[in-house]
This record gives sequence, structure tokens and C-alpha cells, in this order.
Amino acid sequence: MSLSIFLLAVPLLALGAVLALVSRSNRASAAIALATQAGAIALVLAGAGRCLLGGGAQELSWPWPPPINTIAFRVDGLGAFFLAWSLPLTWLGTLYALGYLRPYFAQGRHGGTHFALLNLIALSFVLIYSVQNALVFLLGWEIAAVAAWLLVIWDYKSQKIRFAGFNYLVSTHVGLFVLVAAFMLLHSKTGSMDFAAFATFLARPSPTRGTVFLLLGVAFALKSAFFPFHSWLPRAHAAAPAHVSALMSGVIHKAGLFGFLRFTLLMGRPEEWMGWTVLAFGAVSAFSGVLYTSTQRDLKRLLGYSSTENVGIAAMGFGLGYLGWCWGNASLALIGFAGGLLHVFHHALFKCLSFYASGAVYQAAHTVDLERLGGLARRLPRTAALFLLGGLAGSALPPLNGLVSEFILYTGLLSGQAPAPEANVVLVIAAAALAFVGGVSALSTVRAFGVAFLGTPRDASVQVGGEAPAAMLVPMLCHALLVLAGGLFPQLAIELARSSLGLFSFASPEVLAASLAPVGALATASRLLAAALLGLGLACWWKGRAARRSPTWGCGYTAATPRMQYTGSSFSEHLARIFEPYMPVSRRERLPNELFPQSSGQLGSHHADAVERRIFEVLARGEDAISEFAARIPAHSRFAFAAGLFAVIVLGAVASGGWP
Amino acid sequence: MSASLPLNLLSLLLLPLLLSGWIQRVKALWSGRRGPPLLQPAYDVARLLRKSPVYSRTTTPLFRIGPWCLLATTLGSAALVPLCGSRSLASFPFDFVWFAYAWGLGRVALMLAALDTGSSFQGMGSAREATFSTLLEPVLFLVAAALCLKSGAHTFDGALRSELLGGAWLLRACAVLALAVMLQVESARMPVDDPSTHLELTMVHEVMVLDHSGPDLAAVQLASAIKLFVGSSLMATLLNPWAASGGPWAAGAQLLLSFAVATAVGTVESLVARLKLRLVPSYIALALASGSVALLLGAWGAAAVP
Repeated sequence: MSLSIFLLAVPLLALGAVLALVSRSNRASAAIALATQAGAIALVLAGAGRCLLGGGAQELSWPWPPPINTIAFRVDGLGAFFLAWSLPLTWLGTLYALGYLRPYFAQGRHGGTHFALLNLIALSFVLIYSVQNALVFLLGWEIAAVAAWLLVIWDYKSQKIRFAGFNYLVSTHVGLFVLVAAFMLLHSKTGSMDFAAFATFLARPSPTRGTVFLLLGVAFALKSAFFPFHSWLPRAHAAAPAHVSALMSGVIHKAGLFGFLRFTLLMGRPEEWMGWTVLAFGAVSAFSGVLYTSTQRDLKRLLGYSSTENVGIAAMGFGLGYLGWCWGNASLALIGFAGGLLHVFHHALFKCLSFYASGAVYQAAHTVDLERLGGLARRLPRTAALFLLGGLAGSALPPLNGLVSEFILYTGLLSGQAPAPEANVVLVIAAAALAFVGGVSALSTVRAFGVAFLGTPRDASVQVGGEAPAAMLVPMLCHALLVLAGGLFPQLAIELARSSLGLFSFASPEVLAASLAPVGALATASRLLAAALLGLGLACWWKGRAARRSPTWGCGYTAATPRMQYTGSSFSEHLARIFEPYMPVSRRERLPNELFPQSSGQLGSHHADAVERRIFEVLARGEDAISEFAARIPAHSRFAFAAGLFAVIVLGAVASGGWP
Repeated sequence: MSASLPLNLLSLLLLPLLLSGWIQRVKALWSGRRGPPLLQPAYDVARLLRKSPVYSRTTTPLFRIGPWCLLATTLGSAALVPLCGSRSLASFPFDFVWFAYAWGLGRVALMLAALDTGSSFQGMGSAREATFSTLLEPVLFLVAAALCLKSGAHTFDGALRSELLGGAWLLRACAVLALAVMLQVESARMPVDDPSTHLELTMVHEVMVLDHSGPDLAAVQLASAIKLFVGSSLMATLLNPWAASGGPWAAGAQLLLSFAVATAVGTVESLVARLKLRLVPSYIALALASGSVALLLGAWGAAAVP
């Protein structure tokens, strides 16, 4: 019964999308989108709330014309967990859009489509997180992908943005093809598109199971932008409006990780190589993503790479969960899955906050290029504080929420519970890698915040406007409060994830409570630290108001200019040099060489994405090869046509008959 | 626990500045001078606390909070470490993770305060500190994990003082070597950084605090001294054969060993020139390597004990 209430959200959101599309005024569109999304949240929580509170899963199936036959819906703890925050965060994003797009609306741009698309995103969540049929799952998947693409190219008049959008569209469909391949493979083995049928097949170890696992892994990794499948991501995040970047990074692409967990649950106890693969893949992703954050000069690209890092951290948790499951160690497995799930949630909270704050910077300064900004904290004090909070949480610094999930992962990785010493060594090295990732992430946060918000303005041509309107500040404040609450009261998030963790066959409430017990002590320490910092901060602020002021000491040099401040690229130059093999850099330099230089020199460095560069190289080479081959075919010869036809027939025969 | 609380607090309050003074004395002796009084760092801090601060016009309130955040996190993390032969003030499972991240927060606060001044010198120091500390971050985890694997404990206190650690002197030696490098980087000591100057070529830590004055500077100096003391306590606990017993002998030996570590730090500082900046990452790699060896010893050592 309550599941049919739940599914009413789908027509409600669709209706909202249509109304938002046809309504004349932008305000009305926004109001319709917000109202229908709020209604959908109420319906979904009414339907799925019982699951979150520990009730069982709810199922419903509808007869449907072939080829689907029946559509089964099933809301269990995992789906309820993702729904419980995805929809409210989308609502906050829609509210933010109202403020962020205001300058465009003032120029007469119609925003109905945009709000309708945001509604469709919410609709796709309801489908993806509840449906049990592969075809309908793909439908929801595709709705999310296409809607996200259309949202990214809001500024479609710029060729750069259209290219970024197209790049995203192609990449996401490559992922879709892989997903379709996996589903086709499963269909060929089970004759059904139902997840329940998949589950019975996947539960038995077979070579196909491994293939399906890898295919699904690649498809979901492309969705969540894991390294090396991330190349579309920095471009898309830099091109999209801030709230779209925030929703894509924090919420929409979490569907990839959801899919991974959904199929993990269907698959049951995995094999050990799968666990190591996921752990290694996550670690590589976190490592590469975070290294790239340290060299970006576009604030939103930087945050985009940070998503790659954070999904990698979550995947490390899932890998640990796989391993614990294989080794029959319920505690270790629960720690891994709990750490991963909480990190997914926490990342959504702090990453949206960072993206929203960078959107406020863009709206005020019309650029997010670090090297042109500076001293924003005096002009935008609220945005500065919020950005810093998001950044610190992203670097897993206490007392914020990022540390909670990473701490849980550390308790698993460092527990020494693996059956063999070699395995323990590898787990500890993964923990050390996670520590390194945290260090680089702190460096990136200091760099991004310090260069953009502190010091003095670097570029006089950048005119900085006022603070963001309330429609943008309110979502940021909500996120900031959640980030703080997540750090000080981690039990809340654990409660939210409890029902999804309970789905694993080995889980029991006692083991869960015992494995996550250290988090309680962490929370106490965080609260003490937060209280101390609050007291000290207030005291410093109060005492410092009347203190004497003078210019910054220039070490005896009196002609310092704002251009002489340390720049973003100089800040990360040392680290980038150490890791140059991973982060190729192109330098353009004209250095003064005479003893008394007459002309000024210049130096520019640019860090391109190594993976993207390689993709383009390979594509270009392939194109060259094809055109070379094509040039060799005689221009208008019947022979060429006959040869082609023959080849097609042979290939067709091989494919249909020769292959058993 | 009852006896350790006052001892711990007392040593945390009194010893850090004394230890810094001791290092200064060692350096003075090596260069043939008599050197300042042992309590000179304490006098300096007291003098600074009486002064009133001056702030740059470029700065925001963040600049004022930075030094105090550093001091708070340093004190907070010092509570997790067994100091002077006592048990630590507080401990919870995997508290060394908290320890590392609390130090991280203090560092970030200081780096942001440095960038807040808009000075290129301080930006430079901040960037170098960020780079080195990033490379250093895994060391503590490797060492702590090695000790945990060997001893089966999960707290800093337990792993360092555990009876289960037994002989394992090779493991201890590797851990101490890694921690020594960590100490030199974290508390801005030779051959990584020069604590006595802040000129361009030597700038890492000292240059970040150029603009702090009065009580703020006192907070930074006190925090550095506490970091040094905590680091040498960690090493002293590992080297102390009586650490697990926790009696007065242990406390005495611990104290002597802490001063021995400080003497070593002062001696290295007197005899060794500062490394080129380019070479510092390789020096940190030494710590990573010895931490990894400790990890291997810890993992296989634990396997030998059924």
C-alpha cells in the first residue's frame, strides 16, 4: 500500500516538469518545481520511511505489456538511504538555481526547461533507487544522463560549453553501452530482465559472474567518474552552472555507487579478487584525483577532480567490505561498507557546499580562475566562511563530517584483522595512501581558499559584486549545518545508514554497534575540539578588533604589489614537480637571458589531464589510420564494394554460426 | 591513571620549553659558547604574552585564530601520547588517526594565516610546509600500524607501551628512525628547516609566522615546543625498556631519554647543514622507507606470535 503512495511521486514530478515547462514566468516555474519536489519528498519519505526506521523492504509489481511483462518495485534499506538524502539535496539545489540563474532571468532568459529538467532528475532517482527491472533501470539511468547533459549546457551559446556537454554525453553513453552489455549477458543467461532472476544466477560462482562484475564495475565507474574514466568530469563541472555541478558531483553520480552496491547485494558473497580489485581501483582513483586537484587553476575543475578522489575513497571502503565478506569477518566487512556508504553521503553534503560557494564566487566576480582572484574574504565574508567549511570537511579535518567516514575506514584498514600478514601489509599501505590523499587534499584546500579568498585582489580588472542572495545562501547554510552536525553527531548518519547495512547477510546489530564503537569516542573528541575552537575564535575575534594595524611586513622590501603574492601554480609547483610523471605539464617560457635583460620574460605552465590527452592522441591516430586506409581504396571501384560486401558476409557468418 | 594525570599535565606544562632551551644549550656548547639560560624560551614566551599584538591591514579574523587553533590542536593531540613515563591523559581506539588529523588542522590554520597576509614570503613558506607535510603524512600511519600489528593494541598509548612489543628492537629502531625524521620536519629542525633564521633560502616554518606578534607568536612558539616534546616523548617511550612497567624508574628513564633525543636533535643541528629544498622529499622518503620496513617487521612479527 505505502509503496503505491511512494510511486505517486513519479507522476507528480512529471506533472511538475510539464507545468514548469509551460509556465510563462520563471518564478512560477521555480515555485512549481520546488512545490512538486517537496510533495515528492513527502510521498517518498512516507513510503520509504518505514524502511529507514528498520522495517522490512516493500514490494510491488505491475503487469506491463511485453517485452517487460512485469515491473517490480522494491524499496529496501539501500534504496531508502539514497532516496532519503538525494531528493532533499536536489530540492536545495533547485532553490539555489533560483538565485544563481537570476542574472540570466533578468536578461529575459526563460528558465522553465531548467526547472523541468531538475524535476526529471528527481524523478530518475525515484526510478533508479526502487525499480527491480533492468529495462526500467536503464530508462531511469538514461533520463538522468540526458537531463544532466541538458542542464550542463545551460550556457549553450559558448562553443566550449557545448563541447564539454558533448564530451559528457558521449562518455556517459559509453558507460551505458557497457551497462547494456552486462544486462544483455545476464538476460542471455536468465531469460529475464528481473533483478530477482539476476540474483539467483549471480549467487553461483561462474566465469560469467566475473565478466558481469567487471562490466558492471566499468559502467558504474564511468558514471561516478572514477580514474581513469573521469576525463569528461572536469570539463563538465567547469562548464555547468554551479548547482548542476553540485548535484552531478554530490548526488546524480552517486547512482553509480548505488548500482554497484545494488548488484553487490544481488551477487551475494563475492570472490577475493573482486575485493582487491575494488580496493586498488578506489585507491588509484583517490590518489590520482587528489593529485590533480593540487594543480587546477579553475576552482570548479578542482572540485570536479576532488569528486574522483572521494568516490575513490568510498570504493576503498567497499573493497574492504568485499574482503571482509570473503574472509568471513563480519566486523571488517561492516566497517568497510559503513565507511563507504557514509563517505558517499558526507561527500554529497560537503561537495555541494563547496560547489555552491564557488557559484557564489562566480556570480560576484564572473570568474573562478584562481590566478585572477584574491582577497575575496573581505568582499564575500559569508561565502568565504562557507567555502572554507566545505573545503576543510573535504580534507577530512576535525571536527567536520569528512573525518567520520575516513576514520571508520582507517579503523578497518589498520585493524590487522586480515587472515594473512601480506594482506595486512597491503591494507596498511592502503591506509597510508589514504593519509597521503588527506594531506594533498588539505594542500588543495589551503591553496584554493588561500589564493582566492585571502591576501589582496590580484587582478584589478576583476570587479567583485556583492554577497549572494538569500536563495543561494539558504541552501549553503543548510549544507554547512549538516556538515557540522555530521562531524559532531556522527550517530545520526550511522542511524540513517543502519537499515542499508542490515541488508548484508552477515550483518547483525550487535556486530555493527561493536565495530562502529570507536566513532563515539571520535565524536566526543570532535565536540571538545569544536567547543575549544569556538571559544578561542570568539575570544580572538573580540580581542583583535581594537588591536593596532599596520601593513604586512615585507621583509624590508617596500614596493610589494598584489601581483607579487604567491600564486596558485607556485603554491603547488613543488608537489607537481615531484609527481610530474603522473601530471605532465606543458611549460611555455621565454626567460630573460642577457646579463641586463632588455625585454621582460614570461613563464606559463599548464597541467593537462594525462588520460584525456592520451584519449585524444589515440582517437587522432585512429582517425589518421582510417583516412590513410580509405585513401588506399580505389575511388570508384566495384571491386572495393564487392570486397566490403564479402567481408561483411564472412564476418556475419562467423558471428552467427561459427561462434557456438 | 590517578598518578599519571598530574604527572602528565605537569610535564606537558613545564617540559616543552625546557626541552627547547636544552636544544639551544646543546647547540651553544657545540659552537663553543655558553648559550642563553635553559629557561630562555620560557622567558621569551612570557615576554610575548605581555605584549600587545599588531595585525596587518590585509588580514581577516582568520589570521588571529590561526595560532590559537594550532596551540589547541597541539595540546589536544598531546593528551593522547604517553608523556614522561605516564599513561596518556586520554585514549580511544585508533586515536592516532585523530592525532594525525588534529595536527593537520593546526597546520592548515597556520598555513591559512600565512596566506592571509598576502606576503609572497609567507606564501612561499606555506607552500613548502604544505608539500613536506603531505609527503610526511603516511609516515605516522605506517609506524603506528606496525606497532599495532605487533602488539595487537589499537591505541597510541597501548601500542607504544605494550608488553607485547617485547624485544622487537629492530622494529623499534626503524620506528624511531621514521619518527625522528617526522620530528625534524614537523618541528622545523635541521636538516629540513632552520629554526633560527627566516631568510629567503631557509624559509619553511619560520617564515610562515613572520607577521604574528605578541601573544599570537607566543602561541606559535609554545605549540612548536610542545610538538617537539611530544615527538621526543614518542621516541623515548619506544626506546625505554621499562616503559610498560610505569613506575618511577620508567618516568626517570623516559625523562633522560627525552633529553637524549633533544641532545641528538641539537647535535645534528650543529653538525649538519640544511638540505637543499629539492632534497627534502628524498629525506622524507627515508622516513617512508624505514616506516615501511617497520610495517613489514610488525606484520610478520605478529604472525609469528600465535
